Amino acid sequence: MKKNGFFNKFIVALVELIVYFYLLIFFRIESVWILVATILILGVILYLSRKFKKTFDYITDCFNKNKNFATFFIIILMLAFPFISKLIVPLYIYWLLIIIQTFIFSIVALGLNFQAGTTGVMNLSSAAFYGVGAYTAGYLAIHYKLPAALTIPIGGIAAAIFGLILFIPIFRTRGQYFALITLAFGYMFVLSLNNLDFVGGPQGLKNIPPINLFGYNFQKAPFGTHFYVNYYYLAFILLLVALLIFGRLYNSWIGLTLNYIRDDEPAAKGCGVSTNLWKLVTLLIGNFFMGVGGAFYAHMIGFISPPNFTLTISLLIISIVLLGGSDNIIGVLVGAFILVLVPEKLRVITEYRVMLYGLLIVLILIFRPKGLIPFKERIYHESIAKEN
Amino acid sequence: MEKNVILYSEDIEMRFGGLYALKNVNIKIYENEILGMIGPNGSGKTTFFNVITGFYKPTGGNFYFLGEKLTGKEPYEIMVRGLSRTYQTSRVCFDLTVLDNILIGTHFVQKSRYFDALLNRKKLYKEIEYYKEKAVHLLKIFNPDLVNKLFVRVGSLPFIDRRRVEISRAMISEPKLILLDEPSAGMNADETKELMDDIGKVRSEMKNATIFIIEHDMKVISTVTERVYALNFGQVIAEGTYEEVSNDIDVKEAYFGKELDNENRFAA
Repeated sequence: MKKNGFFNKFIVALVELIVYFYLLIFFRIESVWILVATILILGVILYLSRKFKKTFDYITDCFNKNKNFATFFIIILMLAFPFISKLIVPLYIYWLLIIIQTFIFSIVALGLNFQAGTTGVMNLSSAAFYGVGAYTAGYLAIHYKLPAALTIPIGGIAAAIFGLILFIPIFRTRGQYFALITLAFGYMFVLSLNNLDFVGGPQGLKNIPPINLFGYNFQKAPFGTHFYVNYYYLAFILLLVALLIFGRLYNSWIGLTLNYIRDDEPAAKGCGVSTNLWKLVTLLIGNFFMGVGGAFYAHMIGFISPPNFTLTISLLIISIVLLGGSDNIIGVLVGAFILVLVPEKLRVITEYRVMLYGLLIVLILIFRPKGLIPFKERIYHESIAKEN
Repeated sequence: MEKNVILYSEDIEMRFGGLYALKNVNIKIYENEILGMIGPNGSGKTTFFNVITGFYKPTGGNFYFLGEKLTGKEPYEIMVRGLSRTYQTSRVCFDLTVLDNILIGTHFVQKSRYFDALLNRKKLYKEIEYYKEKAVHLLKIFNPDLVNKLFVRVGSLPFIDRRRVEISRAMISEPKLILLDEPSAGMNADETKELMDDIGKVRSEMKNATIFIIEHDMKVISTVTERVYALNFGQVIAEGTYEEVSNDIDVKEAYFGKELDNENRFAA
């Protein structure tokens, strides 16, 4: 197969366009049946991918060989999203908000993926760190009038530092036991929020000022659209940065070292890896991104309260990682889109919502036990994979 | 000329509860030799390896590597000083590729860090490329077929190739002392024979390295090693060349049991 064949690029573009416009149709049709149809279509695709393995392998090969083009094209499509959705989807503002939330959860889930997927440090209190970022940013913005350009990174750093509290258990426990401790940690966090007056207790923080980046007010609607469009682009940029960082970390010595710790800790030690130190590193970096996600959320919504950071949210974030494909950043993105968008569509059928949602997860995990897009062999870079 | 001692232990004692897994073990490893260690099951061979690689903290005694006292140090602190090992049950990560499994052996000699990983990819790629060449070189010595499987998951390889990957991982950082814990465990006769050739190749590849092998298979020990320690119930019972040790009365007793006199035979 020729690497830069025009036909292959065409296939990549076609697949991306189909997914993109399907997403728009998904938003446009308000009936819940679109969801049933989506699940059926996903099922058919899964079935076909087994039956016509060669064709599917060819398509994935196209993506692998035209990575730059595929990335470039999808970025263009997503940049155009607010304007295209305005033409097609009547409720586009609502869906824009949901997409922004998907981006935020993607950033948070990428942070968790770095811990749970890459290093095998099962952190069940991701919502707590997400909350630390949100509360720090909110508090600083309200009381000290700090601009968002400062509060968002500070929120991340606060979450990372807060995560250091876990450093004693991480040195002493492992696997499920560590997970249990983080679970307790998540509960304690919500309990403290409810009882601490300076962060508003159960009332939460209100009137967090919107983002005002270098004199540009995010409450101003650009080009006759809606002010959410500003947040959409900022969230998208943050997501791209997170993807770039995690992608590069994964395809380097760091990713390799962390993977080794996950798969065989004693062997890693035997190769000279200071496992405790690296687990701390993964905790710091992962928590930083969770905090950044939370800080952005606080500024966008303007109001945060303890229920936003409970165990349910932690579980959602973990589901995103496990269902999308742990240790695969593209998988995490896919997981975020499915697990954030589907429940929104299900709001109509209120009480069956959780049931259908659970069913979807069970089905996916039956057919793809390692997640929709499982982790791939690390090749670092094309130049290294090629010759020999 | 007196040979240099690279590692020696002083009265190493390892107790698990009331059980002595090792008791007063004094061992000297000279530079550049191939040393073997034999002993029946449960005689403490692997425990001794685990002690000198830092996985177990001895309850008594000390050991010195290159003149430095390393008792109580963590495994990664010991490895950094030029001591690497393989494991009795192959410890390779099945989900990672052959290349990854070997490259992790370079962990403590790697120069690129976070900054390079994020912003200076060229330097990182150059370093990866450098170690990849080295890994390819090692694999070529053992099994040229493996070179085409660099990006294949180790889990799909046959047993002996996994062992080879493991040995390559131990060798890539150019250690001064390399410990092989029962390299032939779980192999059939043909594979064991291949493995003996492999150890010879390790030798010719790393002329300055010292090799220390634990083995059950006497054939391996007799062909490969220059000097042997025999262990039983956590104590050194014999030391010398394979001929000397295998003819030692204590060693024979340890393996085959004591010869009973007639009276006792009837009593039993």
